[in-house]
Amino acid sequence: MSALLEVENLTKHYPVKKGIVLARQVGTVRAVDGVSFRIERGETLAIVGESGCGKSTTARLVLRLIEPTGGTVRFDGLEVSGAALRTLRRRVQVVFQDPYASLNPRLRVADTIAEPMEVHGIGTAESRAARVKELLGLVGLAPFHAQRYPHEFSGGQRQRIGIARALAVQPELIICDEPVSALDVSIQAQVVNLLKDLQRRFGLSYLFIAHDLAVVHHMADRVAVMYLGQIVETAPKRAIFDAPMHPYTRALLSAIPHPDPRRRGMVKPIGGDVPSPMNPPSGCRFHTRCPFAQDRCKAEMPELRDLAPGHRVACHFAETLPAHISVAENGMSPVASQRLALYAAAKARKALQAG
Amino acid sequence: MSTTVTEVVPPARPGTLKILLREPAAAVSLAVVVLVILAALLAPWIAPYDPFDTDLMAVMQPPGEGAYLLGTDGQGRDMLSRMLHGLRVTLAMGALSLGIGGVIGVAMGFAAAYYRRIDGLLMRLADIMLSFPAILFGLAIAAIFGPGVTAVVIALAVATIPLMARIARSTALVVLGLDYIEAARAQGMGDARLIWRHLMPNCASPILVFATLRFGQVILLGSALSFLGLGAQPPIAELGAMAAQGRTFLFFAPHISVIPAIGIFVVVLAFNVLGDALRDALDPRLRI
Repeated sequence: MSALLEVENLTKHYPVKKGIVLARQVGTVRAVDGVSFRIERGETLAIVGESGCGKSTTARLVLRLIEPTGGTVRFDGLEVSGAALRTLRRRVQVVFQDPYASLNPRLRVADTIAEPMEVHGIGTAESRAARVKELLGLVGLAPFHAQRYPHEFSGGQRQRIGIARALAVQPELIICDEPVSALDVSIQAQVVNLLKDLQRRFGLSYLFIAHDLAVVHHMADRVAVMYLGQIVETAPKRAIFDAPMHPYTRALLSAIPHPDPRRRGMVKPIGGDVPSPMNPPSGCRFHTRCPFAQDRCKAEMPELRDLAPGHRVACHFAETLPAHISVAENGMSPVASQRLALYAAAKARKALQAG
Repeated sequence: MSTTVTEVVPPARPGTLKILLREPAAAVSLAVVVLVILAALLAPWIAPYDPFDTDLMAVMQPPGEGAYLLGTDGQGRDMLSRMLHGLRVTLAMGALSLGIGGVIGVAMGFAAAYYRRIDGLLMRLADIMLSFPAILFGLAIAAIFGPGVTAVVIALAVATIPLMARIARSTALVVLGLDYIEAARAQGMGDARLIWRHLMPNCASPILVFATLRFGQVILLGSALSFLGLGAQPPIAELGAMAAQGRTFLFFAPHISVIPAIGIFVVVLAFNVLGDALRDALDPRLRI
């Protein structure tokens, strides 16, 4: 059986133009440059990376909110274009990062949630109203909230409304573009747990865009690490956190903030800035900042290679790198562990209340 | 779920009108605007005399003397009746030109923001229109169609289009960048519905504020064109034209010019203050 979503060699180049009347192209921003991945049914794939690495662009390309320069997106075996796009618009939904910008302030919550059903001509006005009530219950809001406006809600509640809107047309895949990074940590826990609950209940698949590794550790089944528009490592979650093979993944993991002053000096942060995607470095794009870079890295672009089952790395020297020093016992910083404990506690509390 | 959720009624938020009335100047200007509009609408019924009836026995009567509250003009016509009817023409001229210019301008601005391909073309067009002063437009159009109210309305509408287009475009660009527009697109919503339901309601405030401010300016420009003889032609009562007609009597019967001039001043000032107050009242940060 084919995967739910297959993305192959997805590319988005933005031309950079100069001149007012007779604009000529002076360069290309390679926002996404040949990204491939697949998502199975019921699976969560997390894409992580620094800001500007192209992860949000990838999400928008999959949603066809922007036209790709090249590559294919296949949803449930069908290439997305023309008539298939209409299906995609129903079967794939999106949850955005900013809960304040993702809801129309002039629409009541009921109208916002019912909108996708209206667009796809599902149900009658009454059945949609009933469904709105049901959806509000699913995301932990009350039926009377339907008649309110978005400004009457907190960030976490708004994000729940956004999730209810995404669920309205019973999608199979939900693309979450940093769904919790704008929320307080305690609220993050609730929303992340809600997303997990919904996944279990409805067999949802998620494409989870994030830069927060603690959240990724909690949510993801598999992780893809992006750097400058390319995937540099993809592996099951355990493997990424316990045995990262790409130097960039290691750098990301060690960059998790840490309250322990004794740790200073033990971990060397990678220096320098992300190079411009308009003029990416030759060879391996990470060689300008990589502590292990050699001559070959400047000349030859590494391909993604299978180094373990499901573990692909784009590094010439992945096998020969020194062993990864886990930051904490379980490969995570204590802060991340604390955060996870917090999530677990919130979940237990909720279960207790529900029971 | 065993947990019960009870509705907590949030404190009622003050409406826009309530916030507007907090400011005394705003309340006064709103009252003046309402009064002026009512006076203009009801002019045929509340005017004590026919505005065109001449009483040659009572020419250039000063205000308060005899049977005429605001006196009479050079032809012995009742100033109060002419003011009320003049207000009617002036406001109608302003409303019509603002309406036409506003609808075309907003459509142009939204089109430029939504369909980025034609953005450059539409905005350069707006730049060209902006480079002609409204008075010059009035002169040109009066030269083509002959002077009259129609010429003034066309000139002011054309002068309003580029301003409205720019406001609408910049507002729409901000709103179009917000996630709820992306969300609507991701649902597969069509352009027309997206513009109608998501874009327009969220662009309304700045456009409304600008329209209020622009109304004052349009009235001033319209009166100026009439004053120059390009607008309303005698015997039509129009505030600018009336002020112009009184010029010859300025030394011995100043009220003939001064009363319409005060009328213009009050109307324009009221709309300007109201526009400013509206901008403050519609600011969501003040909604506490």
